[in-house]
Amino acid sequence: MLGRLTLAVLASAALFSAAASAQEVPRNQNLIVENPNGTIANPDWFNIWTPAGNLNQPTGLHQLAMDTFWYIDPDYGLDGVWDNSLAAEPPIYNDDFTQMTVRLREGIYWSDGVEFTADDVVFTAETHMKTDGLVRSAAFQVNVESVEAPDPYTVVFNLKRPNSRFHSLFTVRWNAAWIMPKHVFEGKDPLTFNFNPPVSLGAYTLHSYDPNGQWFTWEKRDDWERTTLARFGEPGPQYVTYVDPGPPDRRVIAQMNHELDIIHDVSPEGMFTLAREAPSSIAWFDGFPYAHPDPTLPAVLFNHQHEKFQNRDVRWALALAIDIKAVAMASYRGAATISAIQVPPTGTHPDYYHIPLSEWLSEFEIDTGQQVIRPYDPTIGEQIADMLRPSMGDAIPSDPDKIMRAFGAGWWKQDLEAAAQLMEKAGFTRRGNDWYMPNGERFTIRLMVEGDGRPVMTRAGTMIAQQWRDFGVDVTVENAQAAFFTRRNGGDFEVAISWSVETWGGHPDLSFFLDSWHSDFVAPAGEVQSPRNWQRWSSPELDKIIEQIREVEFDDPKGIELGHEFVKLMVEEMPTIPLMAYNVFTVMDTTYWTGYPTADDPYTNPVPNWANSRYMMVRLRPTQQ
Amino acid sequence: MRSYGIYVLTRFAQFLLVVFIGISLTFFITHLSPIDPVEQMIAGMTAMGQSDPEAVSLMRTALQELYGTGGPLIEQYFTYWGRILSADFGPSLSSFPTPVSVLIGRALPWTIGLLATCTVISWVFGNLLGGLAGYFRENRMLKLAGVIIMGFHPVPYYIIAFVLLIIFGLMWPILPTSGGAAANLPRGWNAEYLISVLRHSILPAASIILVGLGGWFMGMRALVSNVITEDYVTYAELGGVKRSRILPFYVIRNALVPQVTGLAMSLGAIFNGAIIVEFVFSYPGLGRLLISAVYAGDYGLVLGVTTISIVAVSAAVFLIDILYPVFDPRVKLA
Repeated sequence: MLGRLTLAVLASAALFSAAASAQEVPRNQNLIVENPNGTIANPDWFNIWTPAGNLNQPTGLHQLAMDTFWYIDPDYGLDGVWDNSLAAEPPIYNDDFTQMTVRLREGIYWSDGVEFTADDVVFTAETHMKTDGLVRSAAFQVNVESVEAPDPYTVVFNLKRPNSRFHSLFTVRWNAAWIMPKHVFEGKDPLTFNFNPPVSLGAYTLHSYDPNGQWFTWEKRDDWERTTLARFGEPGPQYVTYVDPGPPDRRVIAQMNHELDIIHDVSPEGMFTLAREAPSSIAWFDGFPYAHPDPTLPAVLFNHQHEKFQNRDVRWALALAIDIKAVAMASYRGAATISAIQVPPTGTHPDYYHIPLSEWLSEFEIDTGQQVIRPYDPTIGEQIADMLRPSMGDAIPSDPDKIMRAFGAGWWKQDLEAAAQLMEKAGFTRRGNDWYMPNGERFTIRLMVEGDGRPVMTRAGTMIAQQWRDFGVDVTVENAQAAFFTRRNGGDFEVAISWSVETWGGHPDLSFFLDSWHSDFVAPAGEVQSPRNWQRWSSPELDKIIEQIREVEFDDPKGIELGHEFVKLMVEEMPTIPLMAYNVFTVMDTTYWTGYPTADDPYTNPVPNWANSRYMMVRLRPTQQ
Repeated sequence: MRSYGIYVLTRFAQFLLVVFIGISLTFFITHLSPIDPVEQMIAGMTAMGQSDPEAVSLMRTALQELYGTGGPLIEQYFTYWGRILSADFGPSLSSFPTPVSVLIGRALPWTIGLLATCTVISWVFGNLLGGLAGYFRENRMLKLAGVIIMGFHPVPYYIIAFVLLIIFGLMWPILPTSGGAAANLPRGWNAEYLISVLRHSILPAASIILVGLGGWFMGMRALVSNVITEDYVTYAELGGVKRSRILPFYVIRNALVPQVTGLAMSLGAIFNGAIIVEFVFSYPGLGRLLISAVYAGDYGLVLGVTTISIVAVSAAVFLIDILYPVFDPRVKLA
């Protein structure tokens, strides 16, 4: 009896002991990071060039093992926003942008000891050109006529037509076209080869992974000095593990237990809990709103192929019916960074766009038919800060510049009287509080939101719907859930909360999203729209701006002037109603690591599923040896 | 014996019909859903990266050809049946070209291991306690157990999961709250790994068992309450048969038949996975796989998981149907 009891006690002790003893990876050398793609269904698949590999890339694969010519940081960068990575210098175009030459960095090696050369680049390009179905096959096929390597460190791309932004294919914003190891892929079918184990061009190589896809551990290469990241010093973490930590509550608990060093994103409530309860946790801002503003701009997207949104006055009326302060509170509990213009208020953009255009915005006028108003209120960011100060105290900054960068500058002040005048100017009539269209039918709007997949934006949409209802519009909120993307791309919506503006963040060039807004690419109603002009808006004035941007070089200051023209046109036409940056509550635990990027030291993006988060590795240092 | 043979054949025909209708319905529901796997994939690939519209248009055509989603629906339907009959679910669309069967094969052991164990534990303890509570109705300890079990029963199991997560993950962090086993622990049939698997299953299992007990408990208690009023139980008591013999052999045995049916159906249903529990605890089972497949519009994978579930539940019902007359002579063969 005693023996049985002893056995039971020992078994229980083993079950409840806090840690397994055979951990090969010491915790104090291991940076544990959330993989927001969750548990990977097909963890054996490291072929990042295939669509299936796309799901697996934030497992550390594209952050730590891949490399390409250039990186643009969404914030300020370790040495400026532009980094020549595998390329030794920026792209060299000929006069008419039909040829791009790339000089490659020498002395860079794959993790299996083979040197990286121009042959790898040519192989990558030619593989994509002759293989349908790789993630970037079409991008190569549309652009590249031929590619050649005059010497081992020079590659020349001959293009099918002028393209001053061809280099963006090889420029990491979130990801880009990664270079393939010719010596590994040669002779294999690039669509069915799983690339396991991956041969790395980054400073880390695969150490181990969960056959069920919950975690992936990468180890610093012994020869890390033969990778491009070495220009900035030795990476701090010996190991980096990307894990699926579970739902938001579980992530908060994991970080409070110091089991998760970097949370990719968590709910506003989770962020506030960590700020209050976990002294070792830090975020991008040291106070409210904590979150890192991504260079992405959630907005109210009108489907311009619907008759009811053709009139600019109606769009403006709907904009003036919105109280952005209430939207900020509903969506992010106030932790939003608002933007009145169609450029995200993040990275260097406030310096290039929001601040220089603030005077123009303040003087911008709208004729409602009964009065001329100046709708811009430059103090709304400060008003949101003031609203939060009583409850958040010292967490709310008082410096106006800090408030502007944290909460955004101004927005369009809610003006229901002017909104009603604009509706009447557009031929709408009001009976009681209900608006009727010029054809006599009730003005109804179906507003589509993503649902559980993006709760913050869903809350924003629900609040806007409520405000429009109060204004007299019959609004129905459609929770599209998993069908959101199919419906948005197919034009099966009237109004959606989504984004069609994504920028480089650190670099002022707007072509990253704007080129796709040209009217040449607007699909007919009923057909699928290609990214990113989901609103299907077209305008000759916009086409002219886009065509002019195509003719100027990437770094030409004229590009910023054209960007300003774009912003002004958007404000006048209001084809989408910009709301705020996509704020990501990335939370970092300083128990084991220090040196994380923050708003005070914005050397890179902390959001760990971005490929350029690799730059974080060279600044992180262990706190416990 | 001949009538039993006809009975089995009839039930088998019903089984085939249910499987046929179930799979056909699932096929058409998934394929008529507004979620297009190609658009989901394109949305994922272009969400934060390239967006050259001309290239994306070309990519769309290439993916439609690769996935074979462009053909007529009825043609795809017959192709799918051809695959099922040759035990092949085809490739997963979101993990192309990896076969659906490989993805299911990875997740299935975890789901079976967790849910089959939980179901059997709930069934055994629920029925045992329910039988005792129904027979010894005045026993205070059993009454208290009944109150506790019934207290847990109406609580959704994901609420229990979150409560356990907070208690054992945050307030008193003695148990792992995520994954199927410790990270970086070499997988194998060794004590360290198995203990790790066991430790990781405690909280997900507890959240399922705590809620599951109540159903079996209530059912068995009610059944026993009826059985003890039967004449043969009364005669046995009057005849001096010991209560320790009456309870298992006269009462529980006769009350058990509907519970066995329930167990078979519950075991069949485990092939859907315990979606929320798996999600809360990042447990690598079929439930998580199914959810990710739904979001990706990967109807190949959705169909694979649901086909297994349909066949499992139908087979369980079929087996029960044909075993009923053997176990319970009161069941008459029409």
